[in-house]
Parts: sequence; structure tokens; C-alpha cells
Amino acid sequence: MSTELFFVQLINGIQYGLLLFLIASGLTLVFGVMGILNLAHGSMYMVGAYLVWYFVAVTGSFTASALLSAAIALGLGILIERVLIQRLYNRNHLDQVLLTIGMIFVFNSLQSILWGNDPYGVAVPETLSGSVPFTDNSSYPVYRIFAALVCIGIAAALYFVVSKTRLGMLIRAGESNREMVEALGVNIKSLYTIVFAIGVMLAAVSGIIAAPMRSIVPGMGESVLITCFVVVVIGGMGSIKGAFVGALMVGIISTFAAVLMPTLSNMIIYIFMILVLLVKPQGLFAK
Amino acid sequence: MIFEKRTERIVLAIFFVIALCLPLFLEDNSFFVGKATTVLILAVFVMSLDFLVGRVGLVTLGHALFYGLGGYLFVILTPEYEAVNFWIYALYILAVSALTALVVGVVVLRTSGIYFIMITLAISQMAYYFFFDSLEFGGNDGLFIFMKPETSIFGLSFLNLDNPSHFYYLALLAVLVTLLAIKIILRSRFGRIVEASRLNPERTEALGYNIFAFRLISYVIGSTLAAYAGLLFALQYGYVNPQFMTWEMSGTALVMSILGGLGTIYGAILGAITYEGLQYLFEHMSEDWMLLMGGAIILMVLLLRKGLAGYLEKLLEK
Repeated sequence: MSTELFFVQLINGIQYGLLLFLIASGLTLVFGVMGILNLAHGSMYMVGAYLVWYFVAVTGSFTASALLSAAIALGLGILIERVLIQRLYNRNHLDQVLLTIGMIFVFNSLQSILWGNDPYGVAVPETLSGSVPFTDNSSYPVYRIFAALVCIGIAAALYFVVSKTRLGMLIRAGESNREMVEALGVNIKSLYTIVFAIGVMLAAVSGIIAAPMRSIVPGMGESVLITCFVVVVIGGMGSIKGAFVGALMVGIISTFAAVLMPTLSNMIIYIFMILVLLVKPQGLFAK
Repeated sequence: MIFEKRTERIVLAIFFVIALCLPLFLEDNSFFVGKATTVLILAVFVMSLDFLVGRVGLVTLGHALFYGLGGYLFVILTPEYEAVNFWIYALYILAVSALTALVVGVVVLRTSGIYFIMITLAISQMAYYFFFDSLEFGGNDGLFIFMKPETSIFGLSFLNLDNPSHFYYLALLAVLVTLLAIKIILRSRFGRIVEASRLNPERTEALGYNIFAFRLISYVIGSTLAAYAGLLFALQYGYVNPQFMTWEMSGTALVMSILGGLGTIYGAILGAITYEGLQYLFEHMSEDWMLLMGGAIILMVLLLRKGLAGYLEKLLEK
């Protein structure tokens, strides 16, 4: 592998890793704070991608479509939490697993009813459509760099909100002692609604950002969901820092594996995850 | 009496009476006999999962690994152009599956809780991609069974696997054997220690029991039963492919087991029948059967706290 190819792959890996982080962050946030394993998280990623595709087709503007889709996702998150998730807080985890599997069925079906089963693509917005020269004879698409920067920006914002703001303080407090936070007069129900809706929106935003880079196909949510599980398990369930490190590792490893050992490329991240769990049975940044 | 609850006895009595007579009513319709056979095979698979999840406390999302393994091992280990003896080869395949489960169990049981769910998922995904990407095992298309095995015992042959009704009774026998085996295990000293280690691992350990060993043996038992179900399914349809091992397969079995009533074992039979029945019904009602199925699953979670078995017990127990 030439140095040039190495760096292109490295950047691809980091960029894929950052996207994975964005999806996984919502999953791990909701699990860490609310103890809910949301199997329908991948469906929210799919919803984001389909919504932005639909609105771009209608309005022609990527920015407007992206904002509109993110807002709808936030509303959807609030609705799902209020109508369904809230009823299961006192039930065991497996009931939540069952409910969210039911949601996967519903969302996949709605996708097929509303938009059919053809693959779609979203054009890269014009202002971001160029490429940056990398070396004399290779270049890197601007949109991918932009996507990576957005992911870093959201990661920084998430870190700031969780560690520096009052909402973040409540989230952390709710994680460690729910009853105590309630006793102090905080409305934990609304806090949970907010956290769940943010989780849904993070997944949808990932889908929106990914839309111009990947094809929009039925079942896209499930494949990304499993990869996200690997990410959060490597990092340690519930840890946002862990999700960040795990996502970059998975992104880089799977990108290089696809080039260097194609026959193993599908299996490699699972092998890596199992090795991590054998050394650290609770992930790298276990709480 | 190994069936302690009244509901359990009533449900199982009704089930076995109907199941025994079913082929008599469906004589001309081999499609429905085949469908019913599949439901029975799934019931075996779901019971083995229910034992692990509901009774041993090992929530696995990779149970389909062994379902697929049973099928693959049969095709790989039997000679291509010679009908082998079903019983001997079934034992052989179960032994290999048990050995595999032992090795996998030693690895996965190092973790617990949510990490156990994820590591089982990862191992079954690995196996899925191993077969999916393999050239020698047929890749995504899988492998075909060229010769159905013969089923004679000491030279006496009374079962013809090409006859749908005969195969149906073979699957029903598997349901009965699995049910009795799990029930007897649960009633034994071994089963009581296993349940104790689910309810209070620290105390069980303090009593001097090696929890890891008990869980490992249970994992091997549950996985081997799943492999038997997979072997039967592969034989019924004459092929095996990576789809046997998808996480959706594991997930569906988990759905069936929770719907039926987790940890009740007989509920697993109810769950498999209900799920397959609903799916068949919805598929014929609408192209968008997944919407109805998803809606039905969500409604049942919200309305039935302990699954179908829990609901029936509320009605029938005093």
C-alpha cells in the first residue's frame, strides 16, 4: 500500500468512524441515561435519510430539507417516548426489546408504503460538490470533509452539553440516581422525553448527513444498527467518550480491512469486538 | 407431576390432542402439513431459547448461530450421494454442536448482562459472514441436501422423511422430547441451582456452587437443542443457507418467546404458533403485513405483561 493510498484510506476510515459515532452517540446516550436498549435506533437513521431525500426532491434545497427533517425527527422522538416508551419504564428490558423490534417492523413497512423499495440517492449540495486536491493526482471530496466537520461539531456540542450545562448535570445525575433527582424536584419524566428525543434526532441527523454519500435503501437501518452495537460495546455501554473511541476504531479497521483482506472484511469488526471483550468484559470505558 | 400449573396442563393437553390429529384433517393438503411442521420446529427452537433466557437468565441474541449450525453440520458431515441413517447422524451432529457450544460458551460467558447479549450477537454475525463469504460452503446460496437420510432403527423402518405427515410427526416428537427434557432438567437439583444462580448469583456462589460451570452446561444444552431444530428445518426444506443465522432469526425467536410468556417453556409453543399464525394471516390480508405485525407486537407488549401464558394463567389459575 502506497503512502498516498494509506492516507486516503485513513481519512476515509476517520470520516466513516465519525459518522458511526454520531449514530452510536444517540444509542449510548439513551441507554446510559434511561437504561433503554432501543433496537429501533437504526430505523431513525433510515427515517432521516428518507426524509431528507424526499424534501430535497420537493424543495430542491439541501439545507432547508436537512433542518426540516431534523425537526420532524425531534418531534417523532417526543411522540414515541410519550406514547410508547414511557409505558415501559417499570417493565423489564426484554419488553423494551420486544417493543422496539415491533417499531422496526412498523418503520420498515411505512418506508415501503410511503416511498417504495427502489434505492435512492441525494445529490451533494452544489456549494459542497467540489474536491480538494490531495496530492498531484488525487483529490478528496469537499462534502466528506464537511460531513466529518459536522460530526466533530456535534460531538463537541454533545460533550459541552453533557459536561458543562445544567441539563447535562441533570442527565448525569439521573444516570447515577434516579430517585434522588426526582426527590430534588426535577421532573425526570420530561428529562427522559428530552433525552430520548435527542437520541432519535442524533440518529436522524446521521442519516441526513450520510444521505449524499451512501445510497438510500430499505434495510439500511438494521445494518447500521448492528455496527453501532459493536461501537458502543467496544467503548462501554452508556459512555459517550467510549462511543467516540470505539467508532473511530471500527471506522478505521473496517476501511482498511476492506482494502487489505476483503474476505475477512465483514467479520473483522466482530472479531475485534470479541477480543476487546475478552480483555475488558465491559468495554474500554466501562463505568 | 412435572407440569405444576393447571394452565400448563390444560394448554399442553389441548395442544398435543390437536397436534396429533392435525395431519388427519389436512391429509390432502401437504402445504399446510409442511407449514405446521415448520411451526413445530420453530417451537423447539424457541423453547430452547426460552430455557436460556427465561430460566437460566442468559439473554442471547445469537441463538440462531446454533440453528444454522445444525443445518450446515448435517450437509457438511454427511456423504453427498449416500443416504445416511438419520438417528446416528443426528446424534453425531448434536455431539459436534454441543462441543462447539462448549467452546463458544467458554468465551461468551466471560461477559454478563447487556455485554452477553452483544457478544452472542457478534459471534453469530461472525458465523453468518463466514458462511456468507465462503466459497466452499456455497456463500449466500447455501448448500443443498442431495440425499434425504433413511430412518430405520435396527433395520425396522417406519418413518419416511419424504412423506410430509411422517416428517410432521418427527417434528412433533422433537417438541415432546424437548419439552420433557427441559422440564426434567428444571425439576432436577441441577435445574434448581441454575435458577438460584439467576435469581441470586452471589448467594448461590456463596453456597459453594460454581455458577460458571452451571451456566456453561445450560448453554450447551440450550444450544444443542437449537441445533436439532435447525437440523430438522434444513432436512424439511432440503437446504441450508446463511439466512438461518441472521440476527433477525434470533430476534424473531426472542419475540416469540417473550410473546408466549418468558420462562414458562410451554409459552414458547404458544408464542411460535401465534407469531407464525399472525404472520400467515397478515400476509394474506395485505402486502404491508409488516405494519400489521409490528402493530400487533407493540399492542401485545403494552397489553400483556407476562405474555400469552401469563394472560391464560390469570384466567385459569384460582
